[in-house]
Amino acid sequence: MFANTLFLLSAVLTLAGAVLVVYSQNLMHACIYLLASLFGVAGLYACIGADFLAATQLVVYAGGVIILMLFAIMLTGGTGNRTNKYGLEKIPAMGNKKTFMIAAFAAIVSALIVIKVTIPVFQNNKNLIVAANAPTVERIGTLLATDHILAFEISSVMLLGALIGAAVISRPRKEIHD
Amino acid sequence: MSTLNLDVYMPVVILIVLALLVAGGSLFLGSLIRPQHPNKLKETAYECGEEPIGTAWANFNIRFYVIALIFIIFDVESALMFPVAAVFKRFNEIGLGGTLLMSIFTFVLILVAGIVYCWKKGDLDWVKSFNQVAPTQPSFGKKD
Amino acid sequence: MNSTVVSYLSQSNEFQNIHAWLSKALGFDASSLMAFVIFAIVALIIVGVMATIGGAGTYAERKISADLQARVGPNRVGPFGLLQFLADGVKMILKEDIITTNADKFVFNLAPVMCLVGVFATLAVVPYSSGFILADLNVGIFYLVGMASLVGVGVFLGGYASNSKWSLLGGMRGASQIISYEIPATITIISIVLLAGGLSMKTLIGAQGGGMQDWFILHNPFAFIGFFVYFISALAETNRAPFDLPEAESELVSGYHTEYTGMKFGLFALAEYIEVFVVCGVAVALFLGGYNVPFDLGTGALFSKSLGLDSMLSQNIGQLLQLGAFFTKTLALYYVVIWVRWTLPRLRVDQLMTLCWKYLTPIAIFNLLGCAVWMYAFDGKSIFALIMAATAGGGAHH
Repeated sequence: MFANTLFLLSAVLTLAGAVLVVYSQNLMHACIYLLASLFGVAGLYACIGADFLAATQLVVYAGGVIILMLFAIMLTGGTGNRTNKYGLEKIPAMGNKKTFMIAAFAAIVSALIVIKVTIPVFQNNKNLIVAANAPTVERIGTLLATDHILAFEISSVMLLGALIGAAVISRPRKEIHD
Repeated sequence: MSTLNLDVYMPVVILIVLALLVAGGSLFLGSLIRPQHPNKLKETAYECGEEPIGTAWANFNIRFYVIALIFIIFDVESALMFPVAAVFKRFNEIGLGGTLLMSIFTFVLILVAGIVYCWKKGDLDWVKSFNQVAPTQPSFGKKD
Repeated sequence: MNSTVVSYLSQSNEFQNIHAWLSKALGFDASSLMAFVIFAIVALIIVGVMATIGGAGTYAERKISADLQARVGPNRVGPFGLLQFLADGVKMILKEDIITTNADKFVFNLAPVMCLVGVFATLAVVPYSSGFILADLNVGIFYLVGMASLVGVGVFLGGYASNSKWSLLGGMRGASQIISYEIPATITIISIVLLAGGLSMKTLIGAQGGGMQDWFILHNPFAFIGFFVYFISALAETNRAPFDLPEAESELVSGYHTEYTGMKFGLFALAEYIEVFVVCGVAVALFLGGYNVPFDLGTGALFSKSLGLDSMLSQNIGQLLQLGAFFTKTLALYYVVIWVRWTLPRLRVDQLMTLCWKYLTPIAIFNLLGCAVWMYAFDGKSIFALIMAATAGGGAHH
């Protein structure tokens, strides 16, 4: 009963957020709708018992990525000046007839592929039954510490690269001063 | 039917709905009894008595963006560290603590290398121009 | 099912009776329905208590600051001015709601609500006592970190939507300060998770004991430093002085809520005061033993054994003691927060960033590694247990 309610709430939040992101012309509003959509995805993860993944979604996406996007919007001047110096609209409408046609075609093709891939999963769905509130954190931790230890360490190298990259792009360039 | 019991998430949903109710309710209640006499002067943005010139939504400093970038990096790091930290005690009890300790050390020290690099290069300083333009070495552009 | 307030109440006979009766009357298993009703009632109680604590927090803040500055403080409304917060609330509701002409109205209305939602959602996992906890999620503390970051988004959006220069500066500063200080706080939390071996609040508190020697703050030197790192970061995350740069009166008028009036400002203030309570509660749960009562009085087993009381009654007494322990510790920390605010001067923005990136973050990482080494080297024993073992061993040699 409640599981259905939670699923419905999350699904509606996800879909409505996603539609509004595309529909909205104001970048800042689109970002807020994206936050709602990401929240819904976290709820969907919770629905299938992936509680750690849901929390990670909250921490990394709802907390981190949204703030990053908001800052990026501010970095580029916010939504205040939507026209460039020639008086042309900087932010074009998110779609016209042609783009919608292409998008619909792409959606149908990808939906077919996804259905093709996931049919075997649906056919023997007995394996999908999850144990009651399995402590996913412990299992993920055990796997990260044993089988996937290389991935764990290499992800640190990736984060190192990202950290240095972030530091490098923030350095003021000397040419600006003259 | 799955045996998953999602009732644990019930309070979360209830509390979020309650927050919306509290906020909406108090605002609605106020709208019934509070005065509403808007005028143009009242609705200008406060700028210490001056008339505001232009919008506040201007290009902003890149430093804030970089902070957000670094924040995400540490967020991902913590998302990876939390499960490993949670099983550390159990691994320690069955005598595998040493190997896990080594892997945690490697993971953290690689990241520390990044912080040390940023520190040495002065990327952690908030006021960069003071360090960049030392008085004895004036920085010249390419044209000179 | 996880242990929450519902599973605690389900031990009693009355619960079983009502459950059986409801299931019969409705024709289906009513456990979910009953869980919903209980959760809703308890959530209402908690929100009510929190709103009162938030209101009393403003009163306490004004009284304590008055004491520190040799003033009288609020003393007109009610005895000792105790009803001041009610008067404040009425005033907030009665104030005219002004939205500036150039503001982004949708975001302007949304921002305070978002702050409130983020703070209220964190209340679900705050452990008031072993039975009185709303949701003991397996990812408890990590969920709390995630939900609390909504407040940062709310602060930024509040500053952005006003379309005032002061607000925007305050909002940018606020958001960047909140996310910067989340890093040392999270790393310190990881080091405590390392000691306790789990993310749920029950595990974190269960690994500690009632006596001071069993608290994580005295577990090892690294955790001792970690407490202060966490506390400083938490202060900065809640935008409290000396870290109240987002609303620095002397430079930014009032920061991100310059343009907010009436109840919308009130929602920001309410969210801030409840967040301070939540942060203090988390600090208590992580470092100061949480709801643990000395001599295992919290389980109530002693009462039923020595006094011959009914087992449910003695459990209830134990729960009350646990609630008392948790609230005493948390409110003591709350007092410290207010005390710090009125004692220390405000930091400068570059000092703030230096403190975060050059002091707290490296110290937090050092603590994390230190805790891991301590766990490995001493088999997870606390420093007190080691001393006891050493003296016992020394006695055996002589």
